[in-house]
Amino acid sequence: MRNPFRWLLIAFTGLVVCSLAVSVISADPIKIGLHAPLTGFAAADGLSVRQSVELAVKQINEAGGINGRPIQLVTYDDRADAKEAVAVAAKLIEQDKVAAVVGGSYSAPMRAVAPIYQQARLPMVAGFAVHPDITRAGDFVFRVGMLGPIEGAAAGEVVGKLLKAKTACQMTMDNDFGRALAEGFRARAAVLGIKIVWETLYPLGEMDFTPYLARLRQLNPDVVFTSGYYNEAAQFCKQAKEMGLKSQILGEEGFDSPKFIEIAGKAAENVIIVTNLNRDDARPAARAFIDGYRKLYKMEPDMVGASNYDAFLVIADALRRAKSTDAKVIRDAIASTRNFDGATGTISGFNALGECTKPIQAQIVKDGQFRYYGEVSDLAIITPPDK
Amino acid sequence: MLWQQLANGATMGMIYALITLGLTMVYGVLRILHISHAGIFALGGYLAVAASRVSPNLAFVTAAAMLGCGVVGVLMQRWLYRPLLAESKVVSLIASIGMFTLMEDLFRLVAGPYVLPLPVRAPFGLDQFETSHMTGNQLVVLIASAALLIAAWFIIHRTRLGLAWRATEQDFETASAFGVNIDRAVGTNFLLGSAIAGAAGALVGFYYNSVYPTMGSVPAYKAMAIAVLGGLGNVWGTVVASLILGLVETFLVISPAGLILPRDSIAFVALILVLLFRPHGLFGRR
Amino acid sequence: MGLYQATVAITVGIFMMLAMGLNIITGYTGQVSLGHAAFFGIGAYTSALLSVKAGMSFWLALPIAAAVTAAIGAILGAISTRLHDDSLAITTIGINFVVVSVFQYTQFFGGALGVGGIEYPSVLGRTLTKPEYLIVVVVCVLLGIWFDRRLVRSWLGLALRAVGQNEEAAESLGVPSAKFKISAFAIGTAYAGVAGSLYAHFMTFISARDFGFPTSISIISMAVFGGLGTLRGAILGSLALGLAPEIFRPLVNYRNLMYGALLLLMMRFQPRGLIGDGSLIWEWLRSIATRRRKAQCAPGGEHDGWQS
Repeated sequence: MRNPFRWLLIAFTGLVVCSLAVSVISADPIKIGLHAPLTGFAAADGLSVRQSVELAVKQINEAGGINGRPIQLVTYDDRADAKEAVAVAAKLIEQDKVAAVVGGSYSAPMRAVAPIYQQARLPMVAGFAVHPDITRAGDFVFRVGMLGPIEGAAAGEVVGKLLKAKTACQMTMDNDFGRALAEGFRARAAVLGIKIVWETLYPLGEMDFTPYLARLRQLNPDVVFTSGYYNEAAQFCKQAKEMGLKSQILGEEGFDSPKFIEIAGKAAENVIIVTNLNRDDARPAARAFIDGYRKLYKMEPDMVGASNYDAFLVIADALRRAKSTDAKVIRDAIASTRNFDGATGTISGFNALGECTKPIQAQIVKDGQFRYYGEVSDLAIITPPDK
Repeated sequence: MLWQQLANGATMGMIYALITLGLTMVYGVLRILHISHAGIFALGGYLAVAASRVSPNLAFVTAAAMLGCGVVGVLMQRWLYRPLLAESKVVSLIASIGMFTLMEDLFRLVAGPYVLPLPVRAPFGLDQFETSHMTGNQLVVLIASAALLIAAWFIIHRTRLGLAWRATEQDFETASAFGVNIDRAVGTNFLLGSAIAGAAGALVGFYYNSVYPTMGSVPAYKAMAIAVLGGLGNVWGTVVASLILGLVETFLVISPAGLILPRDSIAFVALILVLLFRPHGLFGRR
Repeated sequence: MGLYQATVAITVGIFMMLAMGLNIITGYTGQVSLGHAAFFGIGAYTSALLSVKAGMSFWLALPIAAAVTAAIGAILGAISTRLHDDSLAITTIGINFVVVSVFQYTQFFGGALGVGGIEYPSVLGRTLTKPEYLIVVVVCVLLGIWFDRRLVRSWLGLALRAVGQNEEAAESLGVPSAKFKISAFAIGTAYAGVAGSLYAHFMTFISARDFGFPTSISIISMAVFGGLGTLRGAILGSLALGLAPEIFRPLVNYRNLMYGALLLLMMRFQPRGLIGDGSLIWEWLRSIATRRRKAQCAPGGEHDGWQS
């Protein structure tokens, strides 16, 4: 069996040579980097991120680029793994020499690279990573997505003001985001006088919710606020329907994916979520994303994609105003963003920490589609911390 | 609520049993930690999705999955494990891991990273059966897995094929001396074990209406824990351990203890505790 | 040496330490450990917490982390004496899971938020640059190699190998295998502790997921890919599999596939690893060495009894 191995050795060497030979040739375009989890357990989100940001690049380049120069997107796969992300960051900074970076990966990798970009004085905008310390890395790091406690508080608002419910239960996914959501929800519920009858954590990746649902069915609260990503969300709702749960299910941005509706099927009807993306949004910025995505990829967009689309556009907008590719100038331009119209809402601006303020959407599933249900724009709730 | 929880636990237990059965059968004969068994499980889900395009009947897609996975299992044994029998066990293990990684990524590249639904109906409309103690889907899974497990038991303990396996388990040379064709015994063992894993993939895909590339990740190691817990190579032990685990997990996750211990770790904590007192698992003989 | 190269080199060096340590446990002493990343994590978290909560400097935190990890490793070694082969392998997976759960769910260890703000090491008040940090990593690796070579030639090393080859035979010759298994674990996990500390201070942020089962798989794959039971195998394996993701980066979508294929094909066609005993390359190198020896022995002589 030695012969096959010799050939494999040759093939392998050839592959290595080819890989090394594949280099990016560029002169005129503005290079922007993108972290995305293209392979691994987060590959589905990675695909959304990549497609959405590529859509934005396409739209900008077709409209003439930025101040006449086209954008070149440099995307690397970090597998949602912190140490891979660190290598990617080093590569983007030193070898690709990008002007700015869209942080389109999960919390842990983004948290690991934020200090690196800060130290390298290269602006980074995170799309949907939620770790609170990411923006604390410094003034070169920004975030377009919502923070957990704020979203949780918005969910509380929906329960109290829009649904006018009195009792609730919390099913919290056990990671930093879920816990932050639960914290925000709890605080707001206390203020509004909503009674939380039972709350519990469940591990990420859980597929079997029947034990919890049996308990919930027995307790029968008005609302069950559930956090989770689309897989868990779909399972929860589907099994809830099978088991005959009567309570109203309220979800969050993790539910915001066409996959949730596809897997949960009829069980998704009338589920309400708090999220970033309003499918019925008439603003041109939102339509450009939603309709553009549907047309180009023949599939429904989701919140993950929308957030990173906006993260990229924030950078593009800053580049346009800055009229320069100097990192510090770009950073200042991002920091001075005012009333930016993105797919996920109008960003009034970034605070000292790099967090942004924008209204939170509530959507409901009707006839298998997400539709507008309400909005939370009370500044007292949606303003993020600034240190 | 108690009956519902029992149904919940039993269903999970049966699912675990189906997944782990093939693993323990293979181990019994070849003493290999066949991690890519989880890849075959996932393949079952994907074959079921493909078959559902032809006919949305659960029985049909499950049979298709079993057939496809059985064949792949045998091919895997012939191409990968047989030549490595003389080497250290770690080699087979790493080879299996490489195969599993490969399979997961192939699924992603061919079928996409997104979760795929499995739109099938159970025969006799059983999945629409509603009671306050059990959902229709649970009933279907319980019946199907019970049928498969009984069939497996029958083959292992009441047929000559099963006898050949049990002889091979004891000792290759002696079995061979008694006229057992070792190669065929191992091959058919893999065939059945993989077919059952394929059925598990189809049923799990149906139960959760989800088939996705990494659906084998958790079963990859959890099934190992259950197999050891039940006693490696012991089919009954596997079933009992699976049911116990399913029930324990169900009752534990909503109790205060569930806040400290995540569900997937329960199997391992149980394993470590049991092994401290019974190093060969609950029912292990070796 | 640029930032990127230093970053990749540091990561490879850290995994080299891990593979070398695992080789002592699984390669020399034959105790299959599929949960080595747990000790990587214990070392990392110990060093991280000492730095963040007690303000300790990296230079002090590293040896303490190594010692703590070795102590816990010895306990695992004691547990392992009761188990054999496959039960042991699976139990080590369990230990990996339990340890990661503890990191993930206990607030003391930062819980889901991990531990951040770990101090980058500094010398005389000046923070090290990445290339300088690489020098620290290289020194650790070299020390690891030196220690391994000393170990292999010592009585302890012989005993470990005896246990690894054939435990029953060793026992019958009076070698108390239990004691030596524990030693193997203590030493191997000490390596992991050092690697963990280096990792924590390099990344400045760690979370439980960095040390899960997939990481354990990476480590043992490196050792086996290179050739289990040999130091050179651990070194080369970690070099090859550590650099592979970066080399294959332009292949974006197919990286994971390539990695799996590499592992699979290597095991299938060269089960002894890239450069382990009995592998194609190693045997070829040895045959060259023997041919040279023959040529030196007797020019035109009759030494034909030597087989390579």
